[in-house]
Amino acid sequence: MASKLISIGKASKLLGVSIDTLRRWDKTHRLPPVRNGSKGHRYYRQIDVDIFLRDIVALAKQWVSAETGITPELDVYCQTRDVFQARLEKLQSNLQRATLSSATSLLSAIAGEIGNNSFDHNLGNWPDITGIYFSYDLDNRVIVLADRGQGILATLKRVRSTLTNDTEALRVAFTEILSGRLPEARGNGLKFVRDVVVENPFTLDFETGTAHLLLKENDKKINITPSDKHVRGCFAIIRFGNLI
Amino acid sequence: MIIDVSKFGTTLVSRPSGKEAWLAFQPTLNNVQENEEVTVDFSNVAVLTPSWADEFLTPLRSRFPGKVRLTNTDNASIKATLNTLAKQ
Repeated sequence: MASKLISIGKASKLLGVSIDTLRRWDKTHRLPPVRNGSKGHRYYRQIDVDIFLRDIVALAKQWVSAETGITPELDVYCQTRDVFQARLEKLQSNLQRATLSSATSLLSAIAGEIGNNSFDHNLGNWPDITGIYFSYDLDNRVIVLADRGQGILATLKRVRSTLTNDTEALRVAFTEILSGRLPEARGNGLKFVRDVVVENPFTLDFETGTAHLLLKENDKKINITPSDKHVRGCFAIIRFGNLI
Repeated sequence: MIIDVSKFGTTLVSRPSGKEAWLAFQPTLNNVQENEEVTVDFSNVAVLTPSWADEFLTPLRSRFPGKVRLTNTDNASIKATLNTLAKQ
């Protein structure tokens, strides 16, 4: 029965997080339990846990902002670029059945740029978990990519030492052609992502450290606000709601 | 010479694969005659990004200045990529 109650221990196992994390999520209203019994123990409705497990954005955000890195489930984990390439081609094939061919091509291209950017900038320097988290839910028209790499500030600071915070670094990454791998001629990947998003009915949430960029169709300016949670490396959500 | 880009793959997104394509194609490019046009044909390419193109097209244009011609570039990601490269 979908509405049955389960213990905090069972919910913790199903969600793959600690009981302390569930207590924290209770305080922040991220996943509220039901208080039951005279001592007010936490119980969880099975349906709430099921919905949370299907919420790929919440799961990826949890992974990328956790203090300790944990290897993700195999179905969302691309440890190497080859695995990412194969899964990107699978996404492309699934998108072809669900959306316009131009959207398939562009969504695959921007997901490919963001994912490969993570590998390009962290090769040999991953702080804990090697590779990226990549998942998508075509029913909800969302693609999620995350890495627990060094983040944009650390990458760009090597070539522009005057950068002092995540907001400045994120702005530079999306507006200037500046390569974190000088003297190689690079640095246009996220500008390409920006151009594609603002010219199409897509939205992009991109977070690094404490900065959060939200970009949507026809945006002329870059809008960066503080992130609700510290992101270890980079976290991107691509939505494409209006196409299907 | 006509380069059929789809022979390198149809989802061309990463720098390492672009670089590998460029290096692997060097012996073939050595056969290009002086003043010969190099046509890059994107037929059947489904996805292209600036990362891949920057490792293949950019050095190709440097090696054969004014002689590289691009065809079948109607795919949306190819158009967007070429626009990005043009801004460099």
